[in-house]
Amino acid sequence: MTGFVQNLIDGLGNGSTYALMAVGVSLIFGVMHLVNFAHGELLTVAAYMTYFLQTRGTSWWIIVPLAITTAMVTSMGVEAVAFRRIRGANPFTLLLTSFALEILSHACWKLFVGSERKQFDKPGWAFNTFQVGPFLFEVWDVAAIVTTIVCLTATAWILRNTLFGLAIRASAEDFDAARLMGVKANRVISGAFALAGVLAGIFAALSLMRTGLAEPRMGANPLLKAVLAAIIGGLGSLQGAVVGGLALGVAEVFVRGYVGDWFGSQAAGLTDGVVFALIALLFVVRPQGLFNVATAERV
Amino acid sequence: MGNTRSSQFVSRTAATAAGNLALVALVLGAGLVYGIGGSSAREDLVTDALINLVIVIGLQVFIGNTGVLSFGHLAFGSIAAYTTALLAVPATRKEVLLPNAPWGIQGVEINVLVATLLGVAAAVVIGALLGLVMARTSGLAATMITLAFLFVTEAVAENWIDLTNGAGSISSVPRLESRTWILLAVALAVAAAAAFRHSAIGRFAQAGREDELAAGAMGIDLRVTRFAALVVSAGLVGLGGSMRSQSLGTVNPTQFSFELSVIVLAMLVVGGMRTISGAIVGTVLVTVGKDVFRWLGDGPGGLPTVEGMPDFFLAALLLAVLLTRPSGLLGDWDAGQLAARRLKASEIRSAGRTQYGSGSSESGSALVADGLGVTFGGFTAVDAVSLRVEPGEVRGLIGPNGAGKTTFVNLLTGMVPATRGSASLGGSPLAGAPHAIARQGVARTFQNLRVFANLSVRENVAVAALSAARHRADRPPVDVDELLAVSGLADLADRPAATLDYGNQRRLEIARAAALRPEFLLLDEPTSGMSDTESEAMIGHVRTVAGLVGAGVLVIDHDLGFITSICDRITVLDHGEVIAEGTPAEVRADPAVIAAYLGSQADEIPANEVQA
Repeated sequence: MTGFVQNLIDGLGNGSTYALMAVGVSLIFGVMHLVNFAHGELLTVAAYMTYFLQTRGTSWWIIVPLAITTAMVTSMGVEAVAFRRIRGANPFTLLLTSFALEILSHACWKLFVGSERKQFDKPGWAFNTFQVGPFLFEVWDVAAIVTTIVCLTATAWILRNTLFGLAIRASAEDFDAARLMGVKANRVISGAFALAGVLAGIFAALSLMRTGLAEPRMGANPLLKAVLAAIIGGLGSLQGAVVGGLALGVAEVFVRGYVGDWFGSQAAGLTDGVVFALIALLFVVRPQGLFNVATAERV
Repeated sequence: MGNTRSSQFVSRTAATAAGNLALVALVLGAGLVYGIGGSSAREDLVTDALINLVIVIGLQVFIGNTGVLSFGHLAFGSIAAYTTALLAVPATRKEVLLPNAPWGIQGVEINVLVATLLGVAAAVVIGALLGLVMARTSGLAATMITLAFLFVTEAVAENWIDLTNGAGSISSVPRLESRTWILLAVALAVAAAAAFRHSAIGRFAQAGREDELAAGAMGIDLRVTRFAALVVSAGLVGLGGSMRSQSLGTVNPTQFSFELSVIVLAMLVVGGMRTISGAIVGTVLVTVGKDVFRWLGDGPGGLPTVEGMPDFFLAALLLAVLLTRPSGLLGDWDAGQLAARRLKASEIRSAGRTQYGSGSSESGSALVADGLGVTFGGFTAVDAVSLRVEPGEVRGLIGPNGAGKTTFVNLLTGMVPATRGSASLGGSPLAGAPHAIARQGVARTFQNLRVFANLSVRENVAVAALSAARHRADRPPVDVDELLAVSGLADLADRPAATLDYGNQRRLEIARAAALRPEFLLLDEPTSGMSDTESEAMIGHVRTVAGLVGAGVLVIDHDLGFITSICDRITVLDHGEVIAEGTPAEVRADPAVIAAYLGSQADEIPANEVQA
């Protein structure tokens, strides 16, 4: 039982960070029907920024806001330079374009910084542990969960209560109708990229404190998790993205446990295989994801 | 008729295969000149490019015809390669590499050609299973299933160490001697892809690629087309994968990784996914370009060595193509067209005239809706509509905006599932998926145009005629050229449908629906956005086309002049209910209709202000 609860806590911790990225992916899909495979590269940008600053002795209190700003500015910049040109193209083209940007980003980091891992110091306090009853917590875990809850709540509040949020939700519902009602396309799309960028930056700050390294391809895996979480939840649905992220995080932790029991501990690599099989099964049963967003085509 | 069609299939396939094989020969010639006397690295590059060709052409069969993006096809290569290796690697070697292998596979050692074929067979079987699983899905969900499939296959290959030796390799894979076998595989891939492209199922798949809903309305079952495309492409990619491991003499999971999946996908997208020539050009361009950039990155002639150059080239090329030519460098151009152009003229002459429907179908079946309705959440879009359209009748359906007219057509054609009531045609119930209802004889057009944009005007109509030949064979056949001629589209027949203007696209949709040999044509606002003269011309056009195939018509429109001059009877809907029915004159005088349009105070209105 204790093991079960501990697993659940770990899973929710991981899953809540997936949710930060997944909400960004879902937001962007909502306003321009793009599954943004380049979204994970914001982590990479923030990581190299952190490496640059940390190795020069900058305090984490300054690094974190700078990393978040970097992610936000990059997100908006990529939208302005690349995605704006192909707005309204079919989803296939949009997806592949973001994909090309992801590969380009990997190649550029390799080209200009080198493919070796860059390591920097993690903040020591993040790994202090404390005990509550039978459960062991790391400061980082708690910080991650609290930060995520705060961020997601803030995002929900912005979307529900501000004019900007209303514009985003209206655009996700029916972009053309929203434009006719006076929503400015450039502003709302740029805003969605900015918000997604901030969430990605926060994710980056949290995950970098834990890993302490930067490398060219580091964005690929979190991105994949985020895209899967967003699709599991139902693209365009923000609650869906959160639930999808948490579900994925919890599923991974539990599957890892069971795979160890069934196949022996050296088969830990099978975890991803089993998780992907479960995801495929989910898509077969519910192709539209858990939360159905009204995407039925007009006839 | 059947003979004409199969001879068309053969000649078109031959033309496409010949054109593309010529293209391969051209590339190969250049490759051989480059390879002769060169180092073995040059030889390897040519071999590498040829094997990539097999894989990318295999990928084209699925993605190019169905329009469903797949990240996972290299998994079929992996399955075939491991199968080949496990069957063909010498038993003595396997005892060392795989001491705990299951099923006594250690002792098996068969001829490498047979092992290759069995590898391909394994890929095809797994492809068929995946196809069954994926049948229900489309779009992103399907793409994600292919991705998950790739990762599952990879995880199994890496972790089932007893069978696959995990991240270590199974080495000493024997190979089919000489390059002839690889060339044969390329030729086979080109021929198979050409045949699939021109087969009925391939053409149905392309229609579905252009528009899922319209394809369904033409009686096309996309589950079948996607399944078939997946099976064929799994076989070809499997063949390529098996060849790759043979040429390297070893098989391991990294040969079929996600990174490499992305590269073969990029090859297809860069060249142009819709044609085989696109696959060939993209493969050669990316394979050669990556090699050039690898050479540059290695620092030739004293230059500094730089990492990541091949990836940089790939990403920059892919991005440039997507931003400037999203359909790929070749778009819809195929080398087969050069050969086909000659055939086409003679083909049309020999097709000859076919007789068509007599125009009167008194013996036909009535279209009946009985209390048909649907509620979305709490909103009742269509309450309970009952209506009977006699065979050969032209019936109008009018009503204010939001009266539920389009929803009613969607209910009749199965695009919106009914929550109550039923519909029938000639006494047999109309139910099930849209394609099943279309096959029963109900064809429709769409309010917001849904032509098959990248197919030619003729192919738009021909694909519906092909569907009719399969599913509506009891009705008299319709001549495609005749339909195009009466629709005023004969001169535009070879243009892509997307390039037509608005009015012509509307006429094309009607011609396409008529080519299905329906009992009833359901026209959703055929004159929307047209000028008065165009609308007037549409009256004659709808009558002619419906008469040509002997179909009754149910037409929704806003233009009352159009409706009253074309319809025998009119049904008026308001708030999802029938409020009046009768001849145009009766309906116009009906107080309920006047109230619905202008409010109850109005006691007299000029006819031209009654807007449907």
